[in-house]
Amino acid sequence: MERETPAIIGVGRTKFGERFEEDPEDLIDEAGLMALDSAGIERRDLDACYISDYFLQLTNKIGIEEGFMSQLLEMHIPIEKVRSFSSALFNACHSIEAGKYDLVLVGGVEKMTDRLDKIRDDLMLLEDPWSYYAGCTPESNHELMLREYIKKYGITGDSLERLKVALAYISVKNHRNAVKNVYAHFRREIDLNRVLKARESAHKPLGLYDFAPISDGASAIILASPRVAKEYTDTPIYILGSALSTDYITYPSREDRAGFLATRIAMEKALKMAKVDIKDIHLAELYDQSTVLEMISLEDLGFSRRGRAWLDLAESFRNFDDFEGFYDLDGHILYVNTNGGLKADGNPLGATGGAQVYEVFKQLRGEADGVKVEFDGDLLYGCVQEVEGFGTKVYVHILGRD
Amino acid sequence: MSSGPIERRVSYIGDRLKGSRCTICGREYFRVRKYCGTCGRKSFGKIEDIDFFYEKGVLESCTVVRNPTNKFRKLGSYIYGIVSFHDGKVRVPGRLTDRILRSDEDVDPSDFEGREVVPRFRRRYSVGPSEIIPTISLAFTFADEYYPYQKYEIVKPKKEYETPGIVGYGVYVSRFRIKEGTIERSVPFLDEDAITAAVEAGKLALIHSGVDQSLIGKIYVGSESNPYAVNPIASKVAQVLKLGEEERDERVQGIDAVDTEFACKAATSMFKDAAALVYYPKTPTEYAIVIGADNSQAAPRGEPGGELDFFVGFGGSAFIFGMRDVIAELEGWYSCSSDTPDFWRRDLEPYPRHGGRFTGGPAYFKHIVKAGRKLMEKMNLTPGDIDYFICHQPNPVWPMRAAKSLGFKPEQYLPGMQVSKFGNTYSGSSPIGLASVLDIAKPYERIMIVSYGSGAGSDAYSFLVTSQIEEKRSRQRFNVRYQVENRYIEYIDYATYRRFKEGL
Repeated sequence: MERETPAIIGVGRTKFGERFEEDPEDLIDEAGLMALDSAGIERRDLDACYISDYFLQLTNKIGIEEGFMSQLLEMHIPIEKVRSFSSALFNACHSIEAGKYDLVLVGGVEKMTDRLDKIRDDLMLLEDPWSYYAGCTPESNHELMLREYIKKYGITGDSLERLKVALAYISVKNHRNAVKNVYAHFRREIDLNRVLKARESAHKPLGLYDFAPISDGASAIILASPRVAKEYTDTPIYILGSALSTDYITYPSREDRAGFLATRIAMEKALKMAKVDIKDIHLAELYDQSTVLEMISLEDLGFSRRGRAWLDLAESFRNFDDFEGFYDLDGHILYVNTNGGLKADGNPLGATGGAQVYEVFKQLRGEADGVKVEFDGDLLYGCVQEVEGFGTKVYVHILGRD
Repeated sequence: MSSGPIERRVSYIGDRLKGSRCTICGREYFRVRKYCGTCGRKSFGKIEDIDFFYEKGVLESCTVVRNPTNKFRKLGSYIYGIVSFHDGKVRVPGRLTDRILRSDEDVDPSDFEGREVVPRFRRRYSVGPSEIIPTISLAFTFADEYYPYQKYEIVKPKKEYETPGIVGYGVYVSRFRIKEGTIERSVPFLDEDAITAAVEAGKLALIHSGVDQSLIGKIYVGSESNPYAVNPIASKVAQVLKLGEEERDERVQGIDAVDTEFACKAATSMFKDAAALVYYPKTPTEYAIVIGADNSQAAPRGEPGGELDFFVGFGGSAFIFGMRDVIAELEGWYSCSSDTPDFWRRDLEPYPRHGGRFTGGPAYFKHIVKAGRKLMEKMNLTPGDIDYFICHQPNPVWPMRAAKSLGFKPEQYLPGMQVSKFGNTYSGSSPIGLASVLDIAKPYERIMIVSYGSGAGSDAYSFLVTSQIEEKRSRQRFNVRYQVENRYIEYIDYATYRRFKEGL
């Protein structure tokens, strides 16, 4: 089948974690070179670059990232900086679809540990100043969303306990997945008790192991026009669907607070654009900034029915010793965050989406060296959800192979 | 980082919780906007200003914050959540204030959710000592606890008086107290200071008086503990309470706002000025408000000035003066002063110094007795003509001695004694005594108040209560007694008291 959408022909990434010895440009250099190498092209072949970082301006006082990129590449091609990897990919797709470029480097980088002492204030202020003024923390909205969820669906008593355990298992599962991911921030297993103990000792509904860490890292891919993709590889991975939706900056002012409206809209658009049935998607890299978000995103994306994801998860995790690595969502097999997710792979904001795309790319090509997607059928599609802020911008990309 | 312009814009909206309402479809917004998203273009020019300052909200969902962002770190653990107004037409983020949460205390959100809350004007978060003090009203307390929800309703005046006087008043002391021996003292919560106390007192005075806020032409705020060396409290109070005629386009209030300072008589000194101003015939000023608010600091015990630490309180009072619906006519006054340095604080010093025994005889007693005697002389009054006597209350003993030496009996001076409940509230001290007497006074009773400010001077006033005092009383639940006998008062230990005094 002749595809007419932009395609990924190479990917690269760095290890995520505390990269105290490297500057942001060192990290993007590392990921970029790997992607060029993987695609088998020279940097001189690039027509343009889209790079992303959430807030290098704040963390590293880097104002014009494009200049650093130009100097690294020693090229004078168009370079644009955006806020998330998915945003860079979304915009790169547009430019290729417009017929402007054939080969584009899409990259992302973040250096959060350079400002560890002030990072939570920065994250919260950027998420929403008015919530920050009222005392919100980066964790609070996730906990409020959990409250809104359990109240909306009337989850109490034993059900609530099961939900809490299911959330904890999400973290256990993601940690287990990351063990085999050589680039992951955390490559160690944790047990259920550890997740629950962390909540208990903090006297909080969600604890340390319910949240993604603060990470450094970079990621990059080479995006090619459908016209030239096959010149470089026999197995390009196509961007079949690419969608963005936005929502109000202040979470409390949104109408439905038991999920992200932006995720629902973006997924709907992406599926329509990709002409893919959600039933045919068996791999999703979700934005699990918290265990709550992995659970609720399953609903917002349409994999679970609304108000039912917790039950689907509880069933999937019923005998965790026998857990086969995928969720059974009312009969629908779905692998989620095979790279360990944001929780264990790490969450260097601007680079996070690149690691998600990297994972789906590798899985679709059957080249994954970590957890492998295995089920009775062909893995044709993968879905990537990335979020900016707290559901303020949500990107969904649907990737597919021939 | 401290940006004057950003602070101006954030506090302009946030202190009052300003919003907008579409007059076509009724949709409401927190924060001011020019059009309604539902009605679109046709709503231009049809959006009205609203605010949630005097409204009651509901805490819909909440969670506990244990590890705040840096600027909230001093608050320790607190409840944060979503507050809705007007049956969910508007939702805002908010934190609960006036609540001590232990770090090991489990919190069940359902204990808090669904309960009614009142917005409180507070410091927003910690900033450096040279920065602008940020404020906001996205702090809330439960309407069924210490601070009740009270409606502010403008009442059309019924009667014009020939003598100016008090038309309404308010007293605010915090929920927290420290008890040592027989004396209890009010302690500010971490996010309170003289500015927030001044706003609270003013708000309560507006509620009690029923006066139209836009008719207040002048505000005086007396304090010796303004957290700024330069920058008035009065302009903040005027803006938050929307005093004077609002010039919306320029975002200014048509009011003269000024701070006064003279230790504990900074407020009482202005009673006569406020009364004279509303009496001035050429340029009518309908009402003037005098606020005394203090969060005075005291050195730790054992250090110079540490003796003040035994009596220092926190709180504020506000009195609105006018010629209509007067509840206590100002009959006469006498003031005196002398250069007597018995208590002082040099610029940049954190704690004031105190003159020890020198602050007694040659300072406190001399001025109070002089002013009291002289006023009675001038007005041909004897102690027998006066029903209640109040004087400045730096400790529980001195005011009784001063009252006795002026010839007053316990039944005349005890009703106004509040120092053993609130501590010395400095600029708010004798005015709070006056308020507690007005809370119980009957029509045609005479009240005499003599303030004292170190440095030194006294103001003596005589008020004659009118028949309107009783009908206004029902408008104020949060009176002095309510704040003394409140079952939600929380007693704290000395270390917590020092930490709270330190503030954000």
